[in-house]
Order: sequence, then structure tokens, then C-alpha cells
Amino acid sequence: MSKMDSEDWDRLSSDPDLLEQDLQDEEEYNYTSNSSSKLQFRKVTSVARWSSSVGMSEVVERKGQLWTTTGIVRSGKLYCSIEETLFFMEIGALLLLSENDQSVSLETMYQQLTEEKDGCCWELYEVYRHLKSLGYIVGRHDIPWSLKSVKRNTGTVSSEGTSESLEVHSARDCNSITERFVKMDLNELKLVFDVYFPNGKFRKSSPGEPSYVLCLIRGQPPSKIEIEILERQCGDIPLKFCLVEHGRVSFYSFSKVELPVLP
Amino acid sequence: MGPRWKGKGAEARALADPMSEIVSRLKSSLIESNAHGLLSGCSVLLAAEAVQSDLLNRACFGRPVVTAEKDEQWFQLSMEEAFYLCFTLKCLSIHGGDNCRKTDEELWKYMTEKKSTFPEFFKAYAHLRMKNWVVRSGSQYGVEYVAYRHHPSLVHSEYAVLISTEGDGGENGRLRVWSDVHCTVRLCGSVAKALLVLYIGKCGKGDTSPSCVTLYSVEERVVARWSPKDCREDQSDRP
Repeated sequence: MSKMDSEDWDRLSSDPDLLEQDLQDEEEYNYTSNSSSKLQFRKVTSVARWSSSVGMSEVVERKGQLWTTTGIVRSGKLYCSIEETLFFMEIGALLLLSENDQSVSLETMYQQLTEEKDGCCWELYEVYRHLKSLGYIVGRHDIPWSLKSVKRNTGTVSSEGTSESLEVHSARDCNSITERFVKMDLNELKLVFDVYFPNGKFRKSSPGEPSYVLCLIRGQPPSKIEIEILERQCGDIPLKFCLVEHGRVSFYSFSKVELPVLP
Repeated sequence: MGPRWKGKGAEARALADPMSEIVSRLKSSLIESNAHGLLSGCSVLLAAEAVQSDLLNRACFGRPVVTAEKDEQWFQLSMEEAFYLCFTLKCLSIHGGDNCRKTDEELWKYMTEKKSTFPEFFKAYAHLRMKNWVVRSGSQYGVEYVAYRHHPSLVHSEYAVLISTEGDGGENGRLRVWSDVHCTVRLCGSVAKALLVLYIGKCGKGDTSPSCVTLYSVEERVVARWSPKDCREDQSDRP
């Protein structure tokens, strides 16, 4: 190998053809997360009724395919979280009614979100909307899409009659779901969403494992210990941190690796 | 992101010439010649004859100092490189201005006084070198080091390396705020490198003597940004 002078070192360390990569990167950074121009406004409208006792809406008229990847099923009924409700209202795919069948405005629901009583907050909603607009399937972490999938996991032998214990009254079950988020400590790091890649064959009765689990983070980047604690809660599923700043959503992973010992 | 070899045959050449063997030959050569370096500021100067010079270049230790001298090639080693050769590989002795050989403890004290983060920086350097990765300064990318699978003439560096220490003073101060994460990840991406963070745990061992360092823990993590827009092909067709 020939002698290397200091200029050689500099030359070898840089790479002019990577400038192109940088330009593509530039494009990506100009893409805003609030891509309203890319949202498809729906022509077909479903109808749901908000239930303040459970902090969810019950879908009373389902239209279109979107329900295969949205909402949770309990006792044969379909319930949507506030973020799901808001998202479909925003794109005009959902008409929301109050308990006395009055039409509920978007403004009212934004106000509802501000109160942060239904397990969500504005930033979490931005994350939900960002991913949902891109076609991802997003559910609240650890909330089964349908109790049929839970049955399957617990290995109940008989499929009919004996699984009374798992068939929870819908209102009670919904309550316990939102209870987990009632005291939303904004500084506490916790897993919020399970994310699945866009999938035309997604089934709530057997969704499989999510592709990622998300943790909303504010303030500072996570410390090593915080990452480890959260990873333990995720099991084998990759963890991503989502950060919302000025309406822009970013996702970062801090994945453990093991560089190989080279020959 | 796998290794990006430079040109045809580069990977084969690297395989045929393992870095561990190059370093081993360098070690033998330095021991045989009773090599000693001169401690000056934050560098160690080393005069090497032709064969040693070649080995230093191939193993990527030091930067050549251009002089008119014909018989010797002078090299300038960083504190990490010098200490690695001296303390870990035990093939180089280092002398002060008075031409007295410095002990490991004296060197350690000197180097930690020059740079308070030297203990963790050295641990990170040694950790990668012991796995036979080539480690060079990463200052042109705003990181501590860049790591290569073999000689930089054969392969592009895959990792930009940052060091993180938790608490207990001596903190490196990187990635403490999100703007630094955004900035560093983006920069690394634009030069096709993954951001590797080495979390150094001092395990309460302190840093008063070089032997403490052998007891530090190192955890490797890659920090990457996920762009949901870029990778959402329908997964339903996958087996």
C-alpha cells in the first residue's frame, strides 16, 4: 500500500456522490406531516355516536372498508377512540352524533381532545393522524382489536358458550381501557400505540404482532435506562420514539446492536 | 446498511489480509525495534522506518507528518491511539520531554488532565479496536470517531461514533437535546453512515487509574430516524 499523506486521508474520507442523497433528504424534510393535500376526502359517510361514559364513539352505521383497520370490537359492536373518531371526522368519512342524536362539530371534538380525558392529547393525535394518513394501521398499545384474538391467545378449547368470562360487557371493558390513560402524566414515558404496516389482509381477530410499538417523548432524548425499561415492556417488538415539534412528527429508534468481531 | 466496499476486489483483498494480522505484525515490529514515542501536547510523535511505516499506515494508526527526512517517516498519534499501543498492546513506550519513559499511570494522569473525557473516549476506542475495526477521528462529521471494517482505501466507514456517559461527571454532552439528535442523524445519513452511540458505564470504578477502564461497560446502540413515508409497501403479500 502506498504512503498516505494527510490529503489522501481527507479525500478518502469524503464522498462527492453522496450529495445526491443529501438533496433527496432535503425533499423529505420539506414534506410536512400535516399533509392535508394528500388526504383523500371521503364521499361515503359512516355514523357514530359519542359516549361520554366510556370516552369512545360507537359506530352505528358502517360504510366503506376503513373499518377493517379502525376501531375495537366488543360484543359485536364497534368502538372508536377519540383519535380515530377525530381523524375520520376530519376527512369527512364520519358523522358524529351526541347522545341525543345531535350532530357534533369538529370544533367540539377538538375541545374534547383538549380536556385529555379520553386517553389522548393533541400531540398523540398528530402522531395518529400522520401514520393513519400514510396507510398504517394504528391501535392503542395493548388494547385488543377484538376479544376473539384474546381468546385465541389464551387457548380456549371450545369456541362457543364457555368463554363467558372473556366476553366483557362492552361499557365496562371500554371503561377499563380509558382508565389506563385517565391520569395522563405528560412527562412519563410510556408505550402508546401499536403500529402495523399497511396490510390489505389485516384481521382484527388475528392481527399478529405489531411491527412497532411507539412511545411519545417530549423534553430530552431518552436515557439508556429509560430505553431499557421500555424495551422490556415491548418484548421482541421494535420500539420507536415519536417526537412532535411544531406540528412535525419524527420517529427515532435507539436499537441495541452488536458490532461483529472482524477477522 | 451493509459495508460499502470501494471497487471490485476490495472485499476479497480485505478478507485475504485480516486487520487483526496487520495489527499483530505492527505490534511485533514495534516491540522488536524497542519503539518509543515522544509525548508532546495531545499527540505522541513516532519515528518509523520503512517496514513499520507501512504497517502503521495499513493498520491505520497515526497520521504521517510530512518532512524532508528520507530514512524515517514521522507519525503523529492521538492520545487514544498512543495509549492503545502502549497500554493495551504493550508494544510502545512513551517518553516525555526529559526523555524519561512514562509509566502507564503517569500517562493516564497526563492524558486525563488534557481531556477530562479521555477515560470514556479511550474505552470506546479500545472497544472497537479490539473487535478489529479501524477507528479514526470523526471530527469532520461532528462525531468522535468513524469506524471502518478495514482500511479506508478499501471500504467506506459504516459508523459515525458518539460516546455517551450517564451521570457522574465527565459527561460528553452529546444527544442531550433533540436538536442534536436531528442534526447528527441527518448529517450521518447524508454521508451514508449509521450513528453508533457507545454508552460507557463506569460502574462506579472512577477514572483515576488506567486499570479502571478495563472494568467499564460498553453498550452499542444505533440511533436512526424512521421515515414512515418511505417504507410502507403493503405487507400482505409477504409470506
